[in-house]
Amino acid sequence: MDNKQAFGIYIHIPFCISKCNYCNFVSKCDSKENIEKYINYLCEQIELQSVFFADKIATSIYFGGGTPSFINEKLIEKVLKTLKKCLKIDKNAEINIECNPNSASKQKLEHYKNIGINRISFGIQSLNDECLKIIGRKHSRNQALKIIHLAQEVGFDNISADLLIGIPNQTTKMLKSDIKDLINAGVKHISAYMLILEKGTILYEQVKGGLLQVASEDDSVNMYKCSYDKLKQYGFKRYEISNFALPGYECKHNINYWDMGEYVGFGLAAHSYFNGTRYSGIENFKDYYKFVEELKFKTNSIKNNEIKQNYSNFNEIYSNFNKSLCENLTKEQIIEETIMLGLRQAKGVNLQKLKALGLDLQKEKKEQIELLLKNNFIKIENDYLFVTEQNFGLVSAIILELI
Amino acid sequence: MDDRQKYIRNFCIVAHIDHGKSTLADRLIEKTGTVSKRDMSDQLLDSMELEKERGITIKLTPTRMFYTYEGKEYTLNLIDTPGHVDFTYEVSRSLAACEGAILIVDASQGVEAQTLANAYLAIDNNLEILPVINKIDLPSANIEVAKEQIEDVIGIPADEAPCISAKDGINIEQVLEQVIKQVPAPSGDENAPLKALIFDSYYDNFKGAVCFVRIVDGSCKIGDKIKMMQTGKTYEITEVGVFTPNMKATPELKSGDVGYICASIKNLLDTKVGDTITNAENPTSQQLPGYKEVQPVVFSGIFLVDGSKYGDLKDALEKLKLNDASLVFSPEVSKALGFGFRVGFLGLLHMDIITERLEREFNLDIITTAPSVSYNVYTTSGNMLEVSNPSTLPPVVEIDRIEEPMVKLFVYTPPEYVGAVMELCQDKRGEYVDLQYLDKQRVRLHYSIPLGEIIYDFFDTLKSRTKGYASLDYEISGFQKSDLVKLDIMLNGETCDALSLITHREKAYARGRGIAEKLKKVIPRQLFEVPIQACIGGKIIARETISALRKDVLAKCYGGDISRKRKLLEKQKEGKKRMRRIGSIELPSEAFMSILKTNDDED
Repeated sequence: MDNKQAFGIYIHIPFCISKCNYCNFVSKCDSKENIEKYINYLCEQIELQSVFFADKIATSIYFGGGTPSFINEKLIEKVLKTLKKCLKIDKNAEINIECNPNSASKQKLEHYKNIGINRISFGIQSLNDECLKIIGRKHSRNQALKIIHLAQEVGFDNISADLLIGIPNQTTKMLKSDIKDLINAGVKHISAYMLILEKGTILYEQVKGGLLQVASEDDSVNMYKCSYDKLKQYGFKRYEISNFALPGYECKHNINYWDMGEYVGFGLAAHSYFNGTRYSGIENFKDYYKFVEELKFKTNSIKNNEIKQNYSNFNEIYSNFNKSLCENLTKEQIIEETIMLGLRQAKGVNLQKLKALGLDLQKEKKEQIELLLKNNFIKIENDYLFVTEQNFGLVSAIILELI
Repeated sequence: MDDRQKYIRNFCIVAHIDHGKSTLADRLIEKTGTVSKRDMSDQLLDSMELEKERGITIKLTPTRMFYTYEGKEYTLNLIDTPGHVDFTYEVSRSLAACEGAILIVDASQGVEAQTLANAYLAIDNNLEILPVINKIDLPSANIEVAKEQIEDVIGIPADEAPCISAKDGINIEQVLEQVIKQVPAPSGDENAPLKALIFDSYYDNFKGAVCFVRIVDGSCKIGDKIKMMQTGKTYEITEVGVFTPNMKATPELKSGDVGYICASIKNLLDTKVGDTITNAENPTSQQLPGYKEVQPVVFSGIFLVDGSKYGDLKDALEKLKLNDASLVFSPEVSKALGFGFRVGFLGLLHMDIITERLEREFNLDIITTAPSVSYNVYTTSGNMLEVSNPSTLPPVVEIDRIEEPMVKLFVYTPPEYVGAVMELCQDKRGEYVDLQYLDKQRVRLHYSIPLGEIIYDFFDTLKSRTKGYASLDYEISGFQKSDLVKLDIMLNGETCDALSLITHREKAYARGRGIAEKLKKVIPRQLFEVPIQACIGGKIIARETISALRKDVLAKCYGGDISRKRKLLEKQKEGKKRMRRIGSIELPSEAFMSILKTNDDED
């Protein structure tokens, strides 16, 4: 398939059973009617907007949230059907859904399997019940291990788990045993993120009020290192700074993000990137519904054949709706992102790709690159410049040297 | 004496900082109805934001007031003066424009260093001095002691001194009456050739340089040809007027008057404070006495955090110079800081004010290098160089000797701190001259001390060692040969020119060690290990090492929200932009400031 045709699709399901203590994503618990209303609008958005992407082929679909597994599986099916009806989907496309151990069930998982979903990422975060309680997760260690088991039972092989590093009271020992248990349970991919205190979250207030203490930067870094060592023992590779997988189980959808590939987000607070523009999602339901109405009105007023494959029409509609949500990237910004996202991956940044964008990095940053090479911070092989394994923790500082 | 001048009084107010000068000025203006109460803002004459905030007067602002006393209307010209030692010359010129001075003494503080210094200046200018005891509303006020001090220390009678509270407006009339009764009326000759003293000037975008003048003899009006006696330049008067306190045009100015003259003067430098203006066609033969060329004594490099905005810095300095002829600057190139300016100041307060105005009024992020004085460097080839920038000091082998500027320093302190003050002065290479008990509570210590020593945190140390009781005053007294060396700081083996300084050989070791330690604290860890070395002529005298960065924060990258990630990156990049790169090292701008605050006491 032509690379230019490939793109990723992100679907945001902004509902959860309850808000976790550290979460500042757009999500809420809502009535059945409101959830159905949202899905109807979402499907309408897909139908209306898909005309702009008629020449594209989706290589990945990612249901994220919120908690996609919280809502009725039939609604997921409805969205997926709409996507298949309106857009070209590659037959090998990675179709992923985020699930929480407490809201997923065997029945739901079976349904997901039947409608063509082939990857599950579980929001495990920790297998320690005390840690889970601190961050306000509603599931337990046993539930988590059980759901991973069930997923395999219904036929899922590509299973990922999210882990949080730096939860108050978390120790290196806990993390290592979590990793061991998850892998033994059949997880093929782990995303390990450091806990970030976000303003406006319960955890933030608790820490600010002195009720809880977050791990120091040193401790977090140390936990990260230990986690990585453990993952290596099991044959996991670090293909991105926070993502580890057995060979062949890397997340295609995310790699597309990091390779500066195009993607379209549907739904509330879903971001998109195509034709050199980043679109931020609309953050509240009322505005989102208004937007879909407007989309309907505008697309109806333009003749269909004129809309086809014409991104600029979409850009106009979206920026008319809210200009601050559209960011046309400058050449420099695209280069900067390419370097940043490239270096966060183990394979590094493709120097030829940068050249095609107009930057000869080796010439432009000659001094810095020589110094970094000499000190073994980076290596250059087969046109890829990458951060060496032992210095991967310094990737932010190295990125700053090179942009 | 003619009738007109009989009803004019020209006077000023002198005081130690904080004794209530500007507040009293405001009350006088209010009492005489010069400005309606509605338009009164606090401290009217301090018009600059900075002046109001810090409670100091930087620019002079004269005001004309009317007051009826015993049935006669008097014209009272009040000339406000800056109160700080940096501006002594400007004060002396505005005093020369008056016949009398109100000397304010704080009833709770008594006579302070600048009370004395300013009182002496007023006496030197033959002014009638009217002591006023202020702040009698304070519970700690001790009127009797204040009066005694005025009599004992300054040596003028104080029994008739009005006891006032400028803040609460108590007994303000008494002050006005005293001015009328005690201050002599002007006695110039209206028919003699024009003789006008420039006591201040400022630049107006429409009128050009405006001279604030006291007409000593003669008169002037629109169309008159005038000549600046110091520069020899001639101009035609376009406007004359008085201060109400806003500038108000009048038909003419006559002897005894205080007012302003505009004459399409393009450059503020042509209106030198202290110069005499005369009539170009009918000139006087004699200049007014006391003219002095103002010389900067403290120098510092000023650079921008964002080096690309060099032009903005130049514009800002030029704009400030329009209104501050004492500000001098010339371009300077630093390897570490890029393009900037070496700026000369009248003193530390002046430097403080200018740097603050650059940041505040012009929104510039500036880096100031350690202040330096101007050294006279005699080379082996027999030349004398004035060196105010350490990095331009010639190599040691070419130097025959270096002379440094000295000051006559007076410290006023309660007796219990004499030991502490003497110790500080000795630490700073001061030579004791004498000690005088002014009264039971006050001692005056006189030292001869290098200027270069008092520009480093001398004032702060003095204040902290005397619990804030001591005050100081100084004047430049000449040059003296000294064993001075250039102290260089090397980062990763490279000399950072902006961190170099000239210091006495005996102090170099402690200084070098102090700076190295300080830098270790302020420079963030880098990807590589960074050695910091302090050296004198290639000999290393202190060394510290910043160990390499070992860890990094990992931030998550949520779903497709790469914008957010990039914004974080851009913020980091912005922070990095504020860093100065020297070889492979990045220095935060604080690194350059930090050496200002290093001193020998800190261990």
